[in-house]
Amino acid sequence: MLLVVYLVGLGLCVAGNTASGTSHLVGTLKDRLFAPWMVPLWLDLGHDTRLTYGLPEDADHHLEIRPAVSRPARQGNGPATAVLRFPATGDHSERGARWRRLAVATVLAEEDAEQAGVLPAAIGAALFRVAGNDDLEVRIVRRVAPDYESARSLRRDETALEVRVRRRDGELQLIPLPPAEEVAPLVDTAPPGGGK
Amino acid sequence: MADRFRSSIAALGAALSTEWNRFWFTPAPAQRLAVVRSLAGGLGLLLAWSWAGDLMAWFGPDGIVSPEVLKAWRSPTALSLFDVARSSAAVWAFFLLGVVLLGMLTVGAMTPIAAPLAALFWASLLHRGPMLVGPADDVLAVILWCLAVGRPGDALAVDRRRAGGAGAAAPSWRNGLALGLLRVHAAVIAAAAAVAQLKADVWWNGTAAWFLAARESTRVDLTGLLAGSEIVTNVVTHAIVLFEIAFAAGVWNRWTRPVVARAGLVGWPLIGLVAGEPMWGAAMAILAWACVPEEAPER
Repeated sequence: MLLVVYLVGLGLCVAGNTASGTSHLVGTLKDRLFAPWMVPLWLDLGHDTRLTYGLPEDADHHLEIRPAVSRPARQGNGPATAVLRFPATGDHSERGARWRRLAVATVLAEEDAEQAGVLPAAIGAALFRVAGNDDLEVRIVRRVAPDYESARSLRRDETALEVRVRRRDGELQLIPLPPAEEVAPLVDTAPPGGGK
Repeated sequence: MADRFRSSIAALGAALSTEWNRFWFTPAPAQRLAVVRSLAGGLGLLLAWSWAGDLMAWFGPDGIVSPEVLKAWRSPTALSLFDVARSSAAVWAFFLLGVVLLGMLTVGAMTPIAAPLAALFWASLLHRGPMLVGPADDVLAVILWCLAVGRPGDALAVDRRRAGGAGAAAPSWRNGLALGLLRVHAAVIAAAAAVAQLKADVWWNGTAAWFLAARESTRVDLTGLLAGSEIVTNVVTHAIVLFEIAFAAGVWNRWTRPVVARAGLVGWPLIGLVAGEPMWGAAMAILAWACVPEEAPER
């Protein structure tokens, strides 16, 4: 009897944990009857190992932590700042893979109201001591591979998420940073002597 | 007429019951499960090593995965022994205890205790940092719980030597049950992977292998080979999916099972390497080993 119950639970967990979502019926049955004992055992698994869908979120992600500086300084007009990178460049180990998963999870969580901002703040706060600074920029970079048609092209880096995390008077503050192009300095194209 | 119907139903029920009992509860020798035990313990140690390097950065008192982060992340029913470890020393103590349990499982020392406790440790570790967990961790969790069901310490184990048993232990229905569960999970995981992949265009248009190989994190650089030939790229992509389907279906047929299970010993690690998930490939190869039929009697 226990075996039958487990096999039903296994089927519902696979059906109820797919990236495509699940029906209300399957979700309710799983959550009410099976999740309470299968979750603690780490058996509430979908096993939908897609490996890749060729989407940006399937690309390699990494974390970059740097002391917060003004935009112009970071764009090359100021002193260079040390950047901590997780995982380190060329780290192909399982340990490195865990940092990449953390980076992906941080980006994906921004779409969830309950989880948004939680990980970026935690990453920043945990790394204050390592970076020796209480005002950091946390940037998650995804290294997107070219399509097969342009296979000879190089991978390109995209900023998937960028926030500033700082501690002021013991309080943690999270400041979203808009994409660089949105804060680029305006160039006055008006003719000398005034336009109008 | 009604009597004939009733007797047919009864016969069918009896046949199903016999087949069910034969599949799940036929006593099996411990050798195959013992090899699964050693390999799973070894893989567990390797995976534990990948957690150890950054244990404090993730789970330390000032680590990234703080209790507040977990609150937003975990299911309300999730539990972890690590939740009570608030200091660095306590986190390390729990972790090292788990490593010792995995080591005991590998060599088969105090297996009846080590197997369930290793599974409990592993589930606790994964619940402590769910966003860091990869597919190899998931598969290992399943294998460890299956080992806890069987008697994997009855062969190739320190326990066996201590007991002074030079000969093999008697076959046990618990070993048969554990091997049956491992086979079911092997098929389910392979099928679920194939279904997940077939939802995406890249697995149909044959370019998925390119996206796997072009990652910076890949262990084997196939980009030169794949970029040079679209046909090769298509072959690799389709071969992965076809292998998964063949494995999921093939382990249920007495003629195909020996072939696909043995092919899994090579195929899964190769897929793992190409996909940049070598540990997952290794974990699936362990499941494939559990599917290789005993020489006799046929289960």
